[in-house]
Amino acid sequence: METQLKKYGQLVISLSGVVAVWWLVSATGLVNPNLFPAPPQVLTAAVELYQDGVLVSDLKISLTRAAVGFTIGASLGVLVGLLTARVFAFKVALEPFLTLLRPIPAIALVPIAIVWFGIGEGSKYFVIAYTVFLAVWLNTHAGASGVAGTYIRAARSLGASRFREFFEVVVPAAAPHIVVGLRLGAALAFLSLVAAELSGASSGIGFRLQDARQFIQTDRMFVGLIQLGILGALLDAVFVIIGRRLVHWESA
Amino acid sequence: MMSAVLKLHEETHTMPGTDVGRIDIENASVVFNAPGGRKIEALAPTSLVIEPGSFISLIGPSGCGKSTLLNAVGGFVPITSGTIRLDGEPVTGINPDVGVVFQQYALFPWFTALGNVLFALKRFPISKEERRDRAYQALKEVGLEGRENTFPGQLSGGMRQRVALARTFVTSPKVLLMDEPFGALDAQTRVVMHEILLRIWEARKSTVIFVTHDVDEALILSDKAHIMSAGPGRIIETMDITDARPRLAHQMTENFLVNRNHIIGLLRQPGMGDH
Ligand SMILES: Nc1ncnc2c1ncn2[C@@H]1O[C@H](COP(=O)(O)OP(=O)(O)O)[C@@H](O)[C@H]1O
Ligand SMILES: [Mg+2]
Repeated sequence: METQLKKYGQLVISLSGVVAVWWLVSATGLVNPNLFPAPPQVLTAAVELYQDGVLVSDLKISLTRAAVGFTIGASLGVLVGLLTARVFAFKVALEPFLTLLRPIPAIALVPIAIVWFGIGEGSKYFVIAYTVFLAVWLNTHAGASGVAGTYIRAARSLGASRFREFFEVVVPAAAPHIVVGLRLGAALAFLSLVAAELSGASSGIGFRLQDARQFIQTDRMFVGLIQLGILGALLDAVFVIIGRRLVHWESA
Repeated sequence: MMSAVLKLHEETHTMPGTDVGRIDIENASVVFNAPGGRKIEALAPTSLVIEPGSFISLIGPSGCGKSTLLNAVGGFVPITSGTIRLDGEPVTGINPDVGVVFQQYALFPWFTALGNVLFALKRFPISKEERRDRAYQALKEVGLEGRENTFPGQLSGGMRQRVALARTFVTSPKVLLMDEPFGALDAQTRVVMHEILLRIWEARKSTVIFVTHDVDEALILSDKAHIMSAGPGRIIETMDITDARPRLAHQMTENFLVNRNHIIGLLRQPGMGDH
């Protein structure tokens, strides 16, 4: 509890420090306020966006895209990861292929996704789901491949069926890795969300950034960047808390 | 009294009696294929008969093949030559009638103590209530009453090994394999574990094969001690231990000391103690 308070205290101090320096630098007049807006300018832009209603609607749309893409990618990632790790036929068929896919960055997929799925929601879901899938697959595969031999021996010598061995031993033994994969996947969902929204979108935080660029509204861009930062940090914190609950035995 | 409560259905399982749990090892050897095409002989051809319901120890320097022999009996490691039979049936793989207490506890950290014991009972067609009752009884027998819902990570090493014991004997296996199960425990905890183990063994009369490199432990627990040579090991001497139990380490009989000196002498021979 005390360490929690300390952590929040440090966060507040660090953030106020950054804002203070930012404000001071702007106040000196050394930087062009059109390129580097001061905190009050950014706040005003945020209020404007809020009053237009786009702040909330962008947030909703972006979060929905991230959530849908994440859910598809993460479920497939866990499923395929368990299969490639524990079922030989899947390992042979898919592991080399997926390993080859891994270095392809999400942003490189945006053009082909637009051709395949149009500029609607489909292409966004695809790009996000793809990125999340690979991260979750890799971690799940590693975790389920590396289950300690003693656990498997113990399960078999206690007469567990292959079915029980899989669900009561392999899955929980791999769970800590799966949780790491999901956390990483959530961060990547955000990255690829912005990549997908920067081109071929008419709403969302990424689109708003791009839109602001056309009118060189750097204050609005800052609003978007800050939104992304806060959302990403909150999401990560949520995943850490859920992960700790889920694999409670790891910290013990 | 307790063993009657714990006795599993006759049609699914038989209690080890005087005639169940006999192990015949004939010229069994184990050769491992090491990287680079090398062959490692882990166990030289070994023959051994283990009487049903007896408690035997395997002693020898580290690397002599004790674990390998145990794993071969458990069906974890295939033998390269010879035969191993359990009640006349050749050992061909892992068999739930052979219980194992692993060197590292191998408890499932995601299950509670109770969950770990229940895991072993799930293959039996008995009601949920009966399963729970048996698991509770088994944990009580190892002195873990009230700890049923604790996770292994929150238990001490000794308590974890008690859960592992309960998990293994709750199904009354014909044979109990133990590979240096108490090696990581302090001396006092070990004495307690010896008492618990002997109580369980006397109630169930499973055949026990107990691997140790501690001569006193072998003399306190077993009916017979088999002493192995340095690797690739084989059995160089078998000693009958006839002293009545309980044998207390602080009240050693003269016989105990004679046996102890003899075994230590054997283990001190050239090429034995240099590990
Ligand atoms: N899976 C394996 N592959 C190769 N060599 C092994 C393997 N398991 C054990 N050995 C070797 O076999 C010998 C006997 O090992 P082990 O049975 O573990 O000895 P002990 O239990 O008596 O200490 C050792 O030299 C060990 O290195
Ligand atoms: Mg060993």
